[in-house]
Amino acid sequence: MPDSNQQPTTAIVRIQRFNPDVDKKPHMQDFTVPLTPGTTILDALHQIKTEQDGSLTFRRSCRHAICGSCAMNVNGRNVLVCKTPLARELDKQGCVTIKPLPYLPIIKDLVVDRSSFWEQYLRVKPWLIPPDNVPEKEFRVSPEEVEALHNAETCIMCGACYSSCQVIAMTKHYVGPHAALKAFLRVLDPRDTAPAERLADLAGGDGVYRCHTIFNCIDACPKNLNPTQAIETLRKLAQKRQAMEEARQERQKTLALPVKSEE
Amino acid sequence: MYKSTGFISFVLRRFTGVVLVLYLFTHILVIGSATQGKAAFDATLKIVQGPLFKIMEIALIAAVAYHAFDGVRLLIVHYFNVIDYRKSLFYAAFAVAAFLTAIGGLLILQALFYKA
Amino acid sequence: MRIFQMQRVSAIALLIFLGIHMAVMHYPPWEIDFSKVVIERLSNPIWKMIDIAFLFFVLMHALTGAYVVLTDLQRIGVYKRALAGVTIVLGLAGFVYGTLTIMAFQPPV
Repeated sequence: MPDSNQQPTTAIVRIQRFNPDVDKKPHMQDFTVPLTPGTTILDALHQIKTEQDGSLTFRRSCRHAICGSCAMNVNGRNVLVCKTPLARELDKQGCVTIKPLPYLPIIKDLVVDRSSFWEQYLRVKPWLIPPDNVPEKEFRVSPEEVEALHNAETCIMCGACYSSCQVIAMTKHYVGPHAALKAFLRVLDPRDTAPAERLADLAGGDGVYRCHTIFNCIDACPKNLNPTQAIETLRKLAQKRQAMEEARQERQKTLALPVKSEE
Repeated sequence: MYKSTGFISFVLRRFTGVVLVLYLFTHILVIGSATQGKAAFDATLKIVQGPLFKIMEIALIAAVAYHAFDGVRLLIVHYFNVIDYRKSLFYAAFAVAAFLTAIGGLLILQALFYKA
Repeated sequence: MRIFQMQRVSAIALLIFLGIHMAVMHYPPWEIDFSKVVIERLSNPIWKMIDIAFLFFVLMHALTGAYVVLTDLQRIGVYKRALAGVTIVLGLAGFVYGTLTIMAFQPPV
């Protein structure tokens, strides 16, 4: 259907390239890609790799915003490129700028080294430490308790928040919003037996008290999660971790009761 | 990512904080000259209240006002769940600080130019 | 955690003390000299107490702040203990010097 206001049919994608074998430092390279209303930036990157320059290197997997592989810096913001429409990101010259996630070492092109990201994640022991008395059927957790964990469970570990954090830019020893959110998940989980131990680690020098409430993590999160709120809550809980431990022990007395009516 | 209001707030807070720490130690030393007697103290104070210093005092007011109200904003964020209003809170803190700086600055300039 | 708590406590205290300081020191005519500082105020023991408390909290806030600013940087953060020592020494020095100044005046001057 021809309309008098012609929509552009191509877009310019400006990508930061860096090949460690050849380049001394990163440089920008422009590509022209076809543009349709449904084109995502990931589609554009695939088109470039398959039909223009096979050496373009980037991470991606599920292409529907659940695996967290394709986080990149588009026009200065960290986004998942599989769910970012290309048309929406074009400037007046019809150009979009794509760079790898900031503040992390670049391996090649748009692929960064996420070792410090995973290191901090493992540091907070992101697994359940269950009680000794495991129930026959299920843990009796209330809907309110489950609801409190909802946001933290939704995190897909994409790294957008981590890479947007100014504290991370200054030091990789900081726990990071991603790990703080996962720690929050376990601290608030009534099935977890070690809240005081977790809070003690988070209260240390590079833990939640190093957050400076810059809020970049909330702006960057593709799932609209709130690591800052989790960090503030952890700060409050860390100041009373003995009370938290006692409350958890009380709670766990009723957690694993057998379901009498079903016997 | 760095182009956000949160980033600007953070950088300005750090910068004003560093400036204020340096000012603090200077201030302690200047007031400390009072132990050397009235004459020495009055002489020192006459220097640090000269026109150039008065102009710099306006910058000092700006630094204190911004740092204080951005700090109040942090206290509000810590105690209340106001994440949805984070940008408005920053603009409000900045506006209050700018307003107080303007008033203080005008009073100082008025005293400077209408001195007998 | 302790540093964070010290920062917040001293921040709230400073909001109060700074308000008092502005109200009593900095109003027209703006000239500050020996009589205004010492005779009007520092010879009064109540003001001495207020000023010493003010000095304590402002040094606490300034030096914990400086410590955090410096240890936020990865390269400097490895010298955390040395930095902590330096800031504590500076704080004590400032506090002692300031308190001696404040206490040095007995009425009548």
